Amino acid sequence: MNNQATSKIDPTPTDWSGDVMQRRIKQRYAAERRFKALGLGAILLSASFLLFLLVVMVGNGFRGFTQTELPVEIDFPALTNGAQPAQFEGPDAESRIRSLGVQDIVNGSIEIQYGNDGTDLFSAGAWTSVQSAILKNPSVLIEKTTFYLPVESELDVAYKGSGNPEVEKKITELGDQLSTGFNGNFMGNSDATDPMQVGIWGALKGSLITMFITLALAFPIGVAAALYLEEYAPKNRYTDLIEVSINNLAAVPSIIFGLLGLAVFLNIFGLPRSAALVGGLTLALMTMPVIVISGRNAVKSVPPSIREAALGIGASPIQVVFHHVLPLALPGILTGTIIGMARALGETAPLLMIGMRAFIAKPPDGITDPSTVLPVQIFLWSDEVNRGFVEKTSAAIIVLLVFLLTMNAVAIYLRNRFETRW
Amino acid sequence: MSSTALLVLVFGLGGVAWFFGRIKASGFVTGGTRGEVHSLPSYHGWYVALWAAIPAAVFLLVWNIVSPALITDAALTSPTAQQLPTDSFTRGSILAEARSIASGNQEKAFNPLSQAMVEPYRTAITYYQTLGMAAAILLVFACGAFAWLKVKPNLRARTKVERVTMIALLLASLIAIITTIGIFISLIFESARFFSMVSPIDFLFGTEWNPKAVAGPRGETGFGAIPLFWGTVFIGAIIAMLVAIPLGLMSAIYLTQYAPAQFRAWMKPILEVLAGIPTVVYGYFAALTVAPALRDLAVSIGISSASSESALAAGVVMGIMIIPFVSSMADDSIAAVPSAMRDGSLAMGATKSETIKKVLIPAALPGVVGGVLLAVSRAIGETMIVVMAAGLAANMTANPFSSVTTVTTQIVKLLTGDQEFDSPKTLAAFALGLVLFIVTLLLNLIALRVVKKYREAYE
Repeated sequence: MNNQATSKIDPTPTDWSGDVMQRRIKQRYAAERRFKALGLGAILLSASFLLFLLVVMVGNGFRGFTQTELPVEIDFPALTNGAQPAQFEGPDAESRIRSLGVQDIVNGSIEIQYGNDGTDLFSAGAWTSVQSAILKNPSVLIEKTTFYLPVESELDVAYKGSGNPEVEKKITELGDQLSTGFNGNFMGNSDATDPMQVGIWGALKGSLITMFITLALAFPIGVAAALYLEEYAPKNRYTDLIEVSINNLAAVPSIIFGLLGLAVFLNIFGLPRSAALVGGLTLALMTMPVIVISGRNAVKSVPPSIREAALGIGASPIQVVFHHVLPLALPGILTGTIIGMARALGETAPLLMIGMRAFIAKPPDGITDPSTVLPVQIFLWSDEVNRGFVEKTSAAIIVLLVFLLTMNAVAIYLRNRFETRW
Repeated sequence: MSSTALLVLVFGLGGVAWFFGRIKASGFVTGGTRGEVHSLPSYHGWYVALWAAIPAAVFLLVWNIVSPALITDAALTSPTAQQLPTDSFTRGSILAEARSIASGNQEKAFNPLSQAMVEPYRTAITYYQTLGMAAAILLVFACGAFAWLKVKPNLRARTKVERVTMIALLLASLIAIITTIGIFISLIFESARFFSMVSPIDFLFGTEWNPKAVAGPRGETGFGAIPLFWGTVFIGAIIAMLVAIPLGLMSAIYLTQYAPAQFRAWMKPILEVLAGIPTVVYGYFAALTVAPALRDLAVSIGISSASSESALAAGVVMGIMIIPFVSSMADDSIAAVPSAMRDGSLAMGATKSETIKKVLIPAALPGVVGGVLLAVSRAIGETMIVVMAAGLAANMTANPFSSVTTVTTQIVKLLTGDQEFDSPKTLAAFALGLVLFIVTLLLNLIALRVVKKYREAYE
C-alpha cells in the first residue's frame, strides 16, 4: 500500500471544498453518527433487558404477596359447645386449641355456607389460619366471627387473571364474595405442597444461617490471607503459588465447589447432607478468594508513609498492620466482603450438589438441621407443575433481589462514604 | 457436653486466662520498674490466653477424630457384642444404628441386636466424653498455669504472641492452596474410579450420551460426552458470545468515548446490577419468558420443530448475563491504550469512530480477547441458566431452536438422582467436573497471560 501511494502521488493540493471531498466528508460524518448511535443502542438495549427482567418479575411476583379470599362465618359458641377464651390462655394453649378440632369446625361452617362441595373451594390448609387467629386472640370464640380464608390454588390463579374457562365459571358464580387480601403466610411459612400455603421464611432462615457460617469462616481467613500476602509474604515461588491458586479459585465455576463439598465434606468428613453447615463451608471456600482479592487491593491502597511512620516510632511489623493498616483498609475490605457475600447469597448450583434440594417444610433450628436457601427454593418452585407456583416463585425472586440490591447499595455507600484519597 | 460447646468453653477459659495474665503483668509497672518490662500487659494476657486455649483446642480436634474408634472398640468388648454376626457388612450396619440411637440422633432400632448394643455404646460414649472433657479442661488449666508462672517483667511476650499471629496469617493464606489441591484430588480420585469402569476414550470421544447404571449388551454404556461438549460450546461460547461481545464491546466504547459524564455515572451501575442478579433468576426468566417467546417466534416463521427448551433461549440469556463482564474488561483495556495514540489519530483528522475502529480497538485487542476468553470460561461453567432453560436431550445439532444439553446440566442431573455413590452414573459427574475444571483453568491461565503481556507492552 505504501509503495502504491508513493508511486501515484499527486502534486496538486487536495480540493477540500470540491464536490468529491465534500461528499466524502459527509459520508465519514454519517458513519460517525451511525457508530455513535450503535453504541448508544447497545447500552440502551442492555439496560432495557434489565428493565424487562425486573418488570416481568415484579409483575408476576407482586401477586404472590396477595391471596384470593372468601368469607366464612363461624359460629364458635355453637360449634365449640361454649368454649371460653380463658381456657386457651397460658403456656399450653396450643395443644388445647388442637383438641378443639378447628379443622372440623371450619369445614363444617364452610359446608353450611357454600354447600357440600364447599370445602373444594378452599385451600386445604385454610383452617390453620383460623387456628392461629384463635391462638393470637382467644376472645374471637365468644361470638360469631367472619374469617376471610384463602381459596384453592386454581381459583386463586383464575381470579388473579389467567384461569381456564371451567374455573372462570365458578368465579362468576361466587361473584362479589371473592376478594383479594394480603398473603400473610408468605413471609411466615415454609415450603408446602399447596401453593396457597407456601412461604419463604424457612428458606430465608436457611439462607441467613448459611450466610452467617460463610461470613464467620471466609471473612477472618480472607482478611488474614490478604494481610499476609500483601504485607509479609516473601517474594518467592511459594508465594507465587498461593497467588496463582487464589486468582484461579476466584474463576473456578461454582459447581466445582459443589463437587468438592460433596466429595470432601459429605463423603470424607461425613457431615450431614443438606445442612446449612455444609452449605456455609462450601460457600465460604468460594467467597474467600473474592475477599482476599478485594482485601489486597484495599491494603495496597494504604500509603507506605503510614507504615513507615509507625515503624519509625518503634511499632513492630505486626503492630503496624493491626493498629494502622488494617483499620484504614477496613472500609475497602468490607465493600469487597459484602459483594462476595451477595454473590454467595444468590448461589444455587453448589448447594444443589450437597443435597440442599430436599422438600423441607420446617425452618431449620440449627446449623446441622436439613435446610434450604432462597435461590434453591426458587429453583424448586420453578420446577413445580402447579400454576399457582409461578407467582410464588417470582415473589421469592423479589425478596431475594431486595436483599441483594440492599447489600450492593450498602457496599456502594460504604465505598463512597469511607473511601479515602491519599 | 457436645464438642462444640466444649470448644466454646475452652475459648471462654482462654479469655479468663487473658485477664489473669494481664493483671499479673500490670503489677510490674506499679513497682516502678517500667524500664525492665519488655512487653505491654495485654501481650502478657495474650501470651497466657494462647497457651491456655491452643493446646486444648488442638487436643479436642484430635480427640474428635480418634474417639469414635475408641468408643467402638470399648463397646465391642462388652458381652452383648459376642452375639453379633461376624459378617462385616451387617455388623457395621448394626453398630451404626446402635451408635446413632445412643447419641440421640435416632429414636428406635429396627434390628433387635442393635437395640441390645445401645447400652454398651451409651456407657462407652459417656465414658470417653467425660474423659475427653476432663483432659481438655485439665490441659487448659495446666498450660494456662504454666504460662502464667512464666509471666515475668523480662518475658518477651510480644515477640511470642506475634510469632503465633504470623503463623495464623500464613495458615490462612495456605487455605487457598489446600482448596485448590482438594478440588484437584477429589476430582481426580473420583474420576479415576469412573475411568476404571468406562474407558476414557469412550468418554471423551463417544458420541452417544445416554448414561446407564449397567452396561448394555454390546458393552456400550452411553457415556460419550461429545454431545455435551458440543452443547456447552454451542450455548456458552457461540450463542452467548454472539450476544455479549457486540453489546458489551459497544457499550464499553460508548461509555468510555462518547457518553457524557452524567450518563456514564448512571449507566455503569445499571450494567453492574445486571452482573449482580443471581443466575437462578436468569434461569427462571429464560424458562418462563424468553423460551416460550422464542418458540412462538420460531413457529411463526415456519420452524415447526422448535423446542420450548431451546439452546437459543439459554444462550441469549447467558449472553445478557455476561454483557457487564465483557464490557468492564473492554473498558479496562481501552483505558490502558496510551492517550498519545488516540490523540495522534485525532490530530491527523480521523473522526472519533475512525480512531476507535482503526487505532483503539486494534491496540486494545489483546486485552479484549483476554476478556472474552474469561467470559467464555465463565459462560461454560454457568449452571443454573442451562439447567432451567436448556433441557436434557443430548443432541448434536447446530439448530439454535432445538434442545441441547451441557456439561453442567448433566452434572446436576447425575448427582441429584437417588443413585448409589459408587455407580458410574454418579462418578461420571466427577469426570465431567474434571474436564470442566481443566478447560476453565486453561482458559483462565491463557487469558490472564494475554492480558498481562499486553499490559506490559504499554507500560
